[in-house]
Amino acid sequence: MLDALIYLRLTSAKNWVLARVRRLRQPKYLIGAVVGFGYFYFFFFRGLGPPATPRNLNPQALQALEAAQAQVPANWLPAMTALGALGLLAILTLMWLVPAQRAALGFTEAEIAFLFPAPIKRTALVHFRLLSAQLRSLVGALVMTLFTHRATILGGNAFTHAVGWWLVFSSLSLHFSGAQFTLTQWAEKGAVLWRRRLVIGAAIAGVAGVTLYRISSGPLASAPAVEAGLRPLAELAIALADTAPLAWLLTPIQLVVTPFLALDATAFLKAIGPAIAMVGLHYLWVVRRAVAFEDAAVDYAQQRAARIAARHAGRSPGAAWAKGRNGPFRLPGTGRPEIAFLWKNLLSTWPYFTGRVWLGAAALTVAGCIWLDRQTIIPELATGAAVPLVIFAAYVLIVGPQFARQDIRSDLGHADILKTYPLAGWQIVLGELLTPAVLLTGIMWLLLLAIAILLRPEAGAEGAHTLAAHTTGAIVLALLTPALALLQLLVPNAAALVFPSWFHATRTRGGGPEVMGQRMIFFFAQLLTMVAALLPAGAVAAATVLALHWLIGLAPALAIAGLTGLAVLVGEVWCGVWWLGGRFEKLDLSAELRS
Amino acid sequence: MIEVSQLAKNYGTFAAVKDLSLVVRPGEVLGLVGPNGAGKTSTLRCLAGIIPATRGQIRIAGHDLAVDPVAAKRALAFFPDEPRLFDYLTVRQHLAFVARIYGVPDHESIAQPLLEEFEIAEKADQLPGELSRGMKQKLAIACGLLHQPSVLFFDEPLTGLDPLGIRRMKNSIISRARAGAAIVLSSHLLHLLEEVCTHVLILKRGEKIADGTLAEVGARFSPGTATVNLEEVFIRATGGTED
Repeated sequence: MLDALIYLRLTSAKNWVLARVRRLRQPKYLIGAVVGFGYFYFFFFRGLGPPATPRNLNPQALQALEAAQAQVPANWLPAMTALGALGLLAILTLMWLVPAQRAALGFTEAEIAFLFPAPIKRTALVHFRLLSAQLRSLVGALVMTLFTHRATILGGNAFTHAVGWWLVFSSLSLHFSGAQFTLTQWAEKGAVLWRRRLVIGAAIAGVAGVTLYRISSGPLASAPAVEAGLRPLAELAIALADTAPLAWLLTPIQLVVTPFLALDATAFLKAIGPAIAMVGLHYLWVVRRAVAFEDAAVDYAQQRAARIAARHAGRSPGAAWAKGRNGPFRLPGTGRPEIAFLWKNLLSTWPYFTGRVWLGAAALTVAGCIWLDRQTIIPELATGAAVPLVIFAAYVLIVGPQFARQDIRSDLGHADILKTYPLAGWQIVLGELLTPAVLLTGIMWLLLLAIAILLRPEAGAEGAHTLAAHTTGAIVLALLTPALALLQLLVPNAAALVFPSWFHATRTRGGGPEVMGQRMIFFFAQLLTMVAALLPAGAVAAATVLALHWLIGLAPALAIAGLTGLAVLVGEVWCGVWWLGGRFEKLDLSAELRS
Repeated sequence: MIEVSQLAKNYGTFAAVKDLSLVVRPGEVLGLVGPNGAGKTSTLRCLAGIIPATRGQIRIAGHDLAVDPVAAKRALAFFPDEPRLFDYLTVRQHLAFVARIYGVPDHESIAQPLLEEFEIAEKADQLPGELSRGMKQKLAIACGLLHQPSVLFFDEPLTGLDPLGIRRMKNSIISRARAGAAIVLSSHLLHLLEEVCTHVLILKRGEKIADGTLAEVGARFSPGTATVNLEEVFIRATGGTED
């Protein structure tokens, strides 16, 4: 019977690949595939071979390169093994604490429809799911190997990394199933959810507490020869792994981690046997524990089908679990209709995106930044904290529109309803853009507030770093932010309206490199468009500052430049909204999606 | 009033609707019938301004849909076969949203009777995900009726409704027509059309085969019979057979 199930899995996988190959006949997938495979080749596969030594390097540069590619020192291995085991223990603990439902094993609706009524033993079904999970573990291991193989501090090679990752994923997957079966058995015997969580939580806390007490009352393990900054962490990790009772829990987990961290073939061969034995023990545990899972499997499959259907329809999968809540503000029946879209789309976001929460966050930001600025424990901490915030602000502005999608992109499935509304196209487009623009602006303003406080110049500073110039610059940036956010949002929304069939394809989940390539094309097109759109505003603002700051001083010149730049940006946004409105009015989704 | 002249809709080289003309006056209910792929949904979507017509003129309540779409749409409501609702808006919030879009002052006083008429008042604070298919359909209809449109387009309005819901829906369509609305509905349920429609238009491959009152169409395709059997008329008009 199992061979039929394996046939099902392998044939499905083969057809999945064939379907993706066949659709490369469509240019949108072919171009995406070229970009996607190109990305994979240049960033991952090219590095799988032995590292090439660059030619024409002077001796100092070559020495620096060799130092950068040096492997982790052998005396660091215990610390790394311990850290890896601690990370896995945290995941395993969650597997015992979080599940609230019966073991479901993750069958699809089709598998339930065909396999559950079929004359197949429950054990065979369990084996089928475990084998399916192993296939997923294998794919996950290969993908992770592409990432980790580039980490030059790790020893081993691509093969040992792939096997190492597979052992980790495989053990986690099997442990998850085993934990679910065990928890289901406990529930059948009357264990109440909160009591079970309390007992497990208390047990873990007890183990951790006793271990920490024992460590604190004895000398720490000998420290590895590393830089002083990381030494306390390494010492603690080794001590935790060596001290009972936590050591009892960590020892089997370390067996699973060791092959991945093996520095050479000999170490790998020594470690592989115990690790495989751990996977085998897990397998036996799961098969012996298998309990009735059919009801839970049906519920799970229905939820999963609802999630997939929602995603294909362009809706949020989270809608399946959402509960109704009050609107973000009162919406009277009359007034600007665009505000209705803001109101509607805010309801589809997290409930804490409100003005009150923003004000609270702003107050906390101000208090925290003032404390950082005034503290004397660590010098230059405020400046150091500002750097990641600046990077994050740039990230929010550039990548934020890919996450804040409560606009036309999420409403494209409702296009036929929206088009019956008595509104001009630009009104619908503007209304749809408001929510992500408000969200991004809110986050950006918080970041600007923090950066402005942290990078505040000293009193009495002169030249371009006066407090007046600094404050004016921050206010100008804050004023520009909504226009910049709208400009950024116009591009992906334009993509959704101008190339709906392309856009629809990028929403496909489970796509291969061709879909990833399509997403990359969209992203780079967005970046290029943004740069092109910023050039006129930037040129006007720069020219204004250059012309005026000799006459009226830097701060007033910045203010005027900011306002002229803002005027250009608003003009661009307006043109974009007006043009997109026209596109929306002409959009014939049924015709677009036919092709 | 709905006035359509020489309407055509092409998808690339495929002609979904060809030179269709029709008039639906206040109080009339036009039943749009035809086999699958006849162009019924494309016609309804063009009339509701959802997709642009390739050629022809559409006037809704006196407004040219191509020239003044906003005024035309203010007078119409479209009810798709599948209720398309917003996942995160409750029943009541859907009505509030639609009220703002159409500029309906004091919409609560209109919304509440609609909720009660469609028996979804008790579900007013629930999200679409918590509603049955029929409830969603009722909510979509209540949203469409909130601004009291004078022109209504129904695409398979009875899909997913229970027998009582079907009865209420039929009565609702008839009462709105009596109140002066011009209505077009497409359905494969021919007995529904016999009960509700004053006129019928038969489409086949995008072309109008016949139109007129039920009696007129019946007389053309079933001459000599006392009562009009729309099913018989449909089969004869479209050239289909019972086999």
